[in-house]
Amino acid sequence: MAAQPSSAGVAGALSLPLSEGAAAPSGRLRRTLKITIPAGMLLVIFFLCFLGPLIFAVPGPTYTNILDANEGLFSHHHLLGTDQVGYDILSRILYGGRASLEIALAVNGIGMAVGGFFGMVAGYVGGWRDAVMMRFIDVLIAFPGIVLAIAIAERLGPSEFHVILALTVFSVPAFARLSRAATLRVREETFVVAARLSGTRTNRLLLRHVLPNILPQLITFNLLGMGIVVVLEGALSFLNLGIPSPQPSWGNMIANGQTVLTAEPRLVIVPSIALFITVLSLNLLGDGLREHWSAR
Amino acid sequence: MSASAPASFDLREGGEARPRHLGRRLAQSSLLRVLGRRLLAAIPVMWGVTFLTFLVMNLVPGNVARSLLGATATPAQVNHYEAQLGLNHPFFTLYGNWLGNVLQGNFGNSYSSHAPVTSTIASQLPVSFELIAYGFIISLVVAFPLALLAARRPNGIVDRISMAFSMAGVSIANYVLAVVLVWVFADVVSVFPAIGFVSIGTNFGENLRSLTLPAIAVGVPLAGFYTRLLRADLLEQMQREDYVITARAKGIGPWRVIVRHALRNSLFGLITVIALNFGTLLGAAVIIEQIFSLPGLGNGLIQAIGNHDTPVIEATVLIFALMTVAGNLLADVLYAVIDPRIRYGSTAE
Repeated sequence: MAAQPSSAGVAGALSLPLSEGAAAPSGRLRRTLKITIPAGMLLVIFFLCFLGPLIFAVPGPTYTNILDANEGLFSHHHLLGTDQVGYDILSRILYGGRASLEIALAVNGIGMAVGGFFGMVAGYVGGWRDAVMMRFIDVLIAFPGIVLAIAIAERLGPSEFHVILALTVFSVPAFARLSRAATLRVREETFVVAARLSGTRTNRLLLRHVLPNILPQLITFNLLGMGIVVVLEGALSFLNLGIPSPQPSWGNMIANGQTVLTAEPRLVIVPSIALFITVLSLNLLGDGLREHWSAR
Repeated sequence: MSASAPASFDLREGGEARPRHLGRRLAQSSLLRVLGRRLLAAIPVMWGVTFLTFLVMNLVPGNVARSLLGATATPAQVNHYEAQLGLNHPFFTLYGNWLGNVLQGNFGNSYSSHAPVTSTIASQLPVSFELIAYGFIISLVVAFPLALLAARRPNGIVDRISMAFSMAGVSIANYVLAVVLVWVFADVVSVFPAIGFVSIGTNFGENLRSLTLPAIAVGVPLAGFYTRLLRADLLEQMQREDYVITARAKGIGPWRVIVRHALRNSLFGLITVIALNFGTLLGAAVIIEQIFSLPGLGNGLIQAIGNHDTPVIEATVLIFALMTVAGNLLADVLYAVIDPRIRYGSTAE
């Protein structure tokens, strides 16, 4: 191979634009901006949802006064208006966002811990144990989570915690597969082999050598996964399996607003925008981080 | 990420298709053998899914007799009805009976409508398939031109626009899109019906019209995803591969290089993802079918769970699982069809 001109050499000879942007001095700045902008947007969203209600005077999310029902945007006392029973929409957006984000964090936290560990062990031990473990994951992937979500909601009643339980069925297998694939790649690296040969115990090897090297991938996926979970939570609300009314979530606001869509499209549009911007920021940040880590 | 050819495999699990033991792999290669292995591995998965479903439905309080007879039924009536349906047995007996029947091709009758499960499913399956196929077509019709235009001039204005579109597409929830589409195209301008389904046999034009909004809701998020994937793969081919440089050096026009040379080698990632999406899309279609009241599998599943109609639930879940497994297999087969260099060895998986 050494005698043949490398593709870069040929390209150089023909002066073809091969690697756009990669070597340009602005590339670094752009990559940084691709991380800081969505991260900033997410910070603002988290700040508004978790601390916002403490700072601005908004009525409680379940406080209602029927005399104030159906107020429009920018009305007196209600910045984003009220819905058909008099709930303040701004307040519900903030508290609903809190619920959505809490669910997303919990579901992905559990997914990353349980699924990530499971996949890492399966990928590392290999052989028939790996095969058995992954068939189990395949079952979870092929199993429609909606059946379990309905079962949980009917058996235990709808609540935020039960939504989290139902959605981990989606996150655990996804993380397991990803972390297994990443582990398979790391397992054959020289430093892992060296550590194994020098007698490092498996526990230590997994935690100190394998885990730090698969973590970037898991974290990137965590961000994308949070977007997916925020969306799925809303999907459950459409089937009356999400956060039970009158507690707000973006999903149940959209689902409930859908019934009065023609008269009050605002009730759907406002939470939809909140949902969209949040998922967009998560996706952008995930993308930016992936680019950052793969460019290193 | 390693060089281009194995990189397309990185989307799948791990580096199982590394070019190690190339000689041995070529000697033992057989697509059929791998298919056989995959099919064998699929059997415990399918069994696990049916068992899990049975178990989960067993945990749901109440049963079909109660939900059909209503709250006023006496315990004696409930018992009688259960005995009629053959439900007064322990869990494992019930599951064993069901499994035995299914293995003989008998999916039983619906507890609530008493119609054979197969005929219920047969009426729902085409609706879901049509929705998904229509959604796929929309997504590909959007994704291919966008990705090709974007890859033609990376970081150009067209690229920026198509990336913005696809990022928005990936980030929008399909139900949000569905509701917005209904608002715009059924309320503001009445172009498409908001709900109601016309079957394909009745009137094909009306059938397409009734499925257009749901299919857009399914297709646009996919289009965003596919555009990003295809653009990234195209760029990798365009920037790294010798054959592209050769083609350019020969003086072949830029479009021809992209479409005839780079595109063919960029399809692996897209094909894998499409095949894998097939199963997951059935799940996504549940919500869309609900919003547009389409009489598909998803709607049927929700209804069946509400009625504790285990035979229907099991059959539907089995189809979902089959689609997932079949999608995985399909991806493997298509790899070999597109790239004759790919051979599957016994070391794979």
